[in-house]
Amino acid sequence: MAEIDSSGGGKKGGGKKRSKKMSTKIDMTPMVDLGFLLITFFMLTTTLAKPVTMQLNMPDKTDTKETSPVKLSETLTVSPDENKVYYYQGIPTEAGTKLEVTDYSDTGIRKVIADLKAKVGSNFTLVIKPTKKAKYRNMVDMLDECAITNNKRYALLEIDPDTEALIKRSGK
Amino acid sequence: MPKVKAKRQSVSLDMTAMCDVAFLLLTFFMLTAKFRPEEAVTITPPSSISEKPLNAKDGMLTISVSNEGGVYLATDDQMAREFMLERMANRYGVALTGEMKKNYMSSEIVGYPAGAMRQVLSIKASEAKDKGFLKGIPVDSANNELSYWVGYAKLSNPELKVAIKGDQNSSYKVFADIIGTLQAQNINIFQLVTSPENKPK
Repeated sequence: MAEIDSSGGGKKGGGKKRSKKMSTKIDMTPMVDLGFLLITFFMLTTTLAKPVTMQLNMPDKTDTKETSPVKLSETLTVSPDENKVYYYQGIPTEAGTKLEVTDYSDTGIRKVIADLKAKVGSNFTLVIKPTKKAKYRNMVDMLDECAITNNKRYALLEIDPDTEALIKRSGK
Repeated sequence: MPKVKAKRQSVSLDMTAMCDVAFLLLTFFMLTAKFRPEEAVTITPPSSISEKPLNAKDGMLTISVSNEGGVYLATDDQMAREFMLERMANRYGVALTGEMKKNYMSSEIVGYPAGAMRQVLSIKASEAKDKGFLKGIPVDSANNELSYWVGYAKLSNPELKVAIKGDQNSSYKVFADIIGTLQAQNINIFQLVTSPENKPK
């Protein structure tokens, strides 16, 4: 690929002796090689995955006027634990309240939420009460499930002693 | 008729233009690339299907939670950073020297109890990290220093958005403490930093 010197230089029929003209062209190949090598390096080492965010709006604690009542039959309480999710409908202290347990797979809690949402309709409300052992990931997973099932009505609450007692009682 | 000879073409081509393009691209990528800010701890955020990019137009206040539950604070607003340090030092009676300020500004994050501030800032940021001084900002109800840090940052720049970057295996309790602290200051909108994940179906 080297440059071929095609500019004059040869002797032409016994004229004056001239100093040989040097070509002003230089071989740029290595420089281009180096340039592209560096580009490739920088492009491969930059992190492509930009972080995304999930917006979480919490209610204003100072503004207590606007509370909307929800029906118990339209509410599902989920309690994410480290590897499983507890869920129930109704009041935790009542004997008839049945606590169920499922997992984080798409046939687990997602199906439960989707089924109940289909049954109840647009008033369906999800109450999320992470247990004391829950990891941050579990809470994000639950918020994610809300986004997947297109459920805009959810509340993130601290776990109450009644729910904890219910979980303990059920022994699951 | 003489034979028509195909004219020999020179195989060499002028590489100047190609070289120009290569170096132009190189310069562009190098100038636009942002260095990854130094992290006190490695944090692996959980994944979510959210597609909203992190929008840091008006300044960002990032609260990071490490795997062990340490709380770290960072902001890209330099004015707010300086303001926070001055107020916190004032509050806890730490006399600031030029050296301490320099060490503070050179590190991206704040992550130590106010009691250890003098000790941490008297050495270089990287040394403090190596020595394990960056234990996190206390957030428990008895000694909630995060509340002061955030309060001063908000005082300096009320437009600051709050992002929470938690490690996926950090305890939910720490997160609840942080949310509680911020809600007490009437900050109700949080950006939870996650890594992208494919939408199901």
